[in-house]
Amino acid sequence: MHTINTWLMQFGRAVGGIVGVLYQAGRDSVDQVIVNILPFMAFIALIIGIIVKTGIGKIIATAVAPLAGSLIGLIIISFIAALPILSPLLGPGAVVAQVVGTILGTTLIASGEISARYALPALFAIDAQVGCDFIPVGLALGEAEQQTVEIGVPAVLYSRVITGPIAVILAYLASFGLYPGY
Amino acid sequence: MDFLVTLATGFIGLFQAGANTFVSLVTGIVPLLLILLTAVNSLIAWIGPERINGVGKWSARDGLVYYPIRYVVFPFLSVFFLTNPMAYTMGQFLPEKYKPAFYDAAVSYVHPPLGIFPHINPGELFVWLGIATGIQKLGLPIVPLAVRYLLIGLVVIFIRGIVTERITMWMWPRENEDTAVTA
Repeated sequence: MHTINTWLMQFGRAVGGIVGVLYQAGRDSVDQVIVNILPFMAFIALIIGIIVKTGIGKIIATAVAPLAGSLIGLIIISFIAALPILSPLLGPGAVVAQVVGTILGTTLIASGEISARYALPALFAIDAQVGCDFIPVGLALGEAEQQTVEIGVPAVLYSRVITGPIAVILAYLASFGLYPGY
Repeated sequence: MDFLVTLATGFIGLFQAGANTFVSLVTGIVPLLLILLTAVNSLIAWIGPERINGVGKWSARDGLVYYPIRYVVFPFLSVFFLTNPMAYTMGQFLPEKYKPAFYDAAVSYVHPPLGIFPHINPGELFVWLGIATGIQKLGLPIVPLAVRYLLIGLVVIFIRGIVTERITMWMWPRENEDTAVTA
């Protein structure tokens, strides 16, 4: 009897643990959606609405199309985004990358003005500055010493000027056969 | 009067278009996202993020063989299990000279997996989703793009890790050169 009781207790505890973890995961997910995702969706939806209805989208699209629709143009975008003076300014919250990505996606790619396979290199071109605003904090989180931060900040910024365009070229090469016929 | 009505209709229409977009985003993306987040969050809780500490100590070693571990496997695991921004705390397991390169590799991988693992950085989902929406409007599947984005991202962070490590070494002050090169 005693062994059965012990077994039941352990079983109950295990089930309780699993349910607890799942429930907590669900609670965390709902929190993430409400705190992080829905506000940004509202912001992006407003921007899309304005772009689509006012015709600003068409103006931007015609201006950016030659740049975003060619490999050279995308390399130029990534190079500009990776410039050590600009990259820390373009970084925060990835807002610039998100807005530019949405404009590209909802206008040029959706209308077929630039080929669908350019979506892959474009993803890297608009994001060459990722995390450049956060280097000192990121290094501090990794318990880096002051000297490492002093060297690390320019090292990452300079590195991006090289690796930003490389990422675009790699993505371009990998985009062959992605959407045949588009 | 008619002019005012036209003006007002246009004004409201602007936000109605936004509202329609919002509804399609919420009904089209949020349900899947919520279930996926719940599944991955519970998976992470069961496995326990502290298990990747061992990988950190392993990837701190010198030698060419450890480059892919330090700048591909370790950043991937850090970002997957700890997500943005806690992934960068994993730099604590590395020697000082590798920390900037590890940060560069890890931070560059908070967007490429978003099409398949949105839990990594749900607040910056639209870096991926903005462009993916355009592909969706063409009636094309977005998963092939998501998979390639994720895979090329791994190659890119590997290159970024190596280049940034080289630049860091090059800028490291001379009096520390012995420790920087041979440690």
